[in-house]
Amino acid sequence: MNATAELDIQFKDLDVVYERPDTLTDARLHYCPGCGHGVVHRLLMEVVEELNIKDRTIGVAPVGCSVFAYNYLDIDMQEAAHGRASAAATGIKRVFPDKIVFSYQGDGDLAAIGTAETIHTANRGEKILVVFINNAIYGMTGGQMAPTTLDNMKTSTSPFGRNPDHVGHPLKITELLAMLPGTYYVTRVAVNSPRNVRIAKKALLKSFEYQMQGKGLCFVEVVSNCPSGWKMTPVESNKWLEENMLPMFPLGDIKVPSDE
Amino acid sequence: MEAVQSMVRIRSGNQMVAEGALRAGCKFFAGYPITPASGIYKLMIDMLPGRGGVALSAPDEISALAYCVGASLRGQKAMTATSGPGWALMIETVQYALMTETPVVIAMVQRLGPSTGGATQNAQGDVLLVEHCTSGGYTIPVFTPSTPIECYELTHIAFTWSELLRTPVVVMLDKEVGMTSEDIDYMTIHDLTTLSRQRSIQRDNGKNGAMDTYYFENPEDVPSFVPVGGQIKATVTGSAHNKAGKLQKNSPETLEVLYHLQKKIDAHANQMELVKRDLQDGARTLILSYGITARTAREAVRRIRNNNGKVSWLNVLSLFPVPANKIRASLHNIERIIIPEENFGGQYRSVLCNVFDKQEIVGVNKLGAMITPDEIIAKVV
Ligand SMILES: Cc1ncc(C[n+]2csc(CCOP(=O)(O)OP(=O)(O)O)c2C)c(N)n1
Ligand code: SF4
Ligand SMILES: [Mg+2]
Repeated sequence: MNATAELDIQFKDLDVVYERPDTLTDARLHYCPGCGHGVVHRLLMEVVEELNIKDRTIGVAPVGCSVFAYNYLDIDMQEAAHGRASAAATGIKRVFPDKIVFSYQGDGDLAAIGTAETIHTANRGEKILVVFINNAIYGMTGGQMAPTTLDNMKTSTSPFGRNPDHVGHPLKITELLAMLPGTYYVTRVAVNSPRNVRIAKKALLKSFEYQMQGKGLCFVEVVSNCPSGWKMTPVESNKWLEENMLPMFPLGDIKVPSDE
Repeated sequence: MEAVQSMVRIRSGNQMVAEGALRAGCKFFAGYPITPASGIYKLMIDMLPGRGGVALSAPDEISALAYCVGASLRGQKAMTATSGPGWALMIETVQYALMTETPVVIAMVQRLGPSTGGATQNAQGDVLLVEHCTSGGYTIPVFTPSTPIECYELTHIAFTWSELLRTPVVVMLDKEVGMTSEDIDYMTIHDLTTLSRQRSIQRDNGKNGAMDTYYFENPEDVPSFVPVGGQIKATVTGSAHNKAGKLQKNSPETLEVLYHLQKKIDAHANQMELVKRDLQDGARTLILSYGITARTAREAVRRIRNNNGKVSWLNVLSLFPVPANKIRASLHNIERIIIPEENFGGQYRSVLCNVFDKQEIVGVNKLGAMITPDEIIAKVV
């Protein structure tokens, strides 16, 4: 008897209360243990499944740790050049207005090298969703300081901590974007606790619904972690996030639709 | 006291690029992370501030090189480091530096392309992208180390030529050369003379009044440098300009400046030639390598000679301008030239075609994996 058959027998009397959505492949995640990317992938795909828009949804992945998102999100996915995800998403949405289009980008991708694309995509009011994974660091390249890195935070390129006199304070690009008339819904969520995960899912759900109604650009910042880059255990990183990231990047809606 | 005979340490190529830059007097570094060049960025952040320099994190490669150009316009020796995708973004400013005759050094650690390609895979696929990045086809001097010691020496030499010629210069590594750590002996580093750009001292050069940052008598000459913010008014422009730095369209003087940008490099091409040779009497085959393939070639040469075969070896350290004299001087009795390159088209081979006359030229090319000594040996007659 193989192992799966054994499990089938063991669990046959139990009810399924939680399972992998069909929109997620069963590939094993390459993310470091405890990394927020995996949680956000799952939330996105749960929402896509619940709204039954799997066949209409197109995602644009960044260059960053989530470059492999296409491995897990079982929808059409393209990886854009570093920083260009929202620009690529613009092209897709403009020729396919009926499709549901989102970009998924890290803080380096979106708020460093892709800042111009981000601002202009928002300013044009592209009818897409931008998911912004802010872990205050360039995770993929080995934990260098990003524009979002906290004051005094140590990274491989801020060995004595980020010095705001030298490189400025963390860039709060989400607040900046909320000022642009082109943005429709702008919010900041986190995935460090079950409660925050539920709120994050609601924000994603709302954003997809707005897009289905033809509304403007939705921007969801997810304050996330990078246990490897922060040199912490997953548990420590979630605690550190709560105590250090959230005071700088407070959670909640920053701009709610004015026509609701 | 006994003289120190050796000082052996474990160092990577990237580390030695950073150390070579410091030795050359680099006082400004700006970077954006990218594998396999991030090590240089990190080291400069760690080391430069303590030595009176500035190391700055840029939000992308476009800014990184532009910061360096700004620092150099003020007279500081400046460097950045990147890989193929970042180089693509820097090209506009490389051309700006060339046009404005602003010295700057770029360490380019190649990885597999095109596009994002393979961040952790070796390649030598950017040879032509780097050399042919200018509109107009100007020569970008390119140096290609194959060992950590050469990384140190060639970075230093890159600064020297960048300063003396007032032009952007590239130190081009590949991932294996940049990221492999090995033991090196500091005592084997050659004596290096540090030189800096010649600065303009007089206010009036007798021709163009105060603004003389581009003034030259002969097109082969390098104009004296006028730092921005100094005693003499400096005007800098990336547009076509006359010798006073004033934007002009197609005036004879402007065209003279455009020719001069290339002629000053051509005039020094002989002096820039750098190769390492291991020629053998009676050899009819020459292996010509650069960068990482030098390491494979060395082993191939050893095995061939151990089997009583004869082979000559030439390793090119100054890839551009092509060291044609030194290559031609190594071709006595040579009938076949083998050029191993980790790119599919034989990029340097295509450049070298007009350097050889009657020899048969054979490429050994591979993508995504290193060329082995046996693959080179198989092509030796
Ligand atoms: C033009 C260019 N420059 C640099 C890189 C190297 N690079 C790859 S991912 C990355 C940063 C990723 O950081 P972030 O966007 O915050 O994503 P994370 O990995 O933290 O999720 C960088 C700099 C690249 N691929 N292309
Ligand atoms: S490096 Fe950081 S962001 Fe990347 S997978 Fe690991 S924990 Fe996640
Ligand atoms: Mg990040």
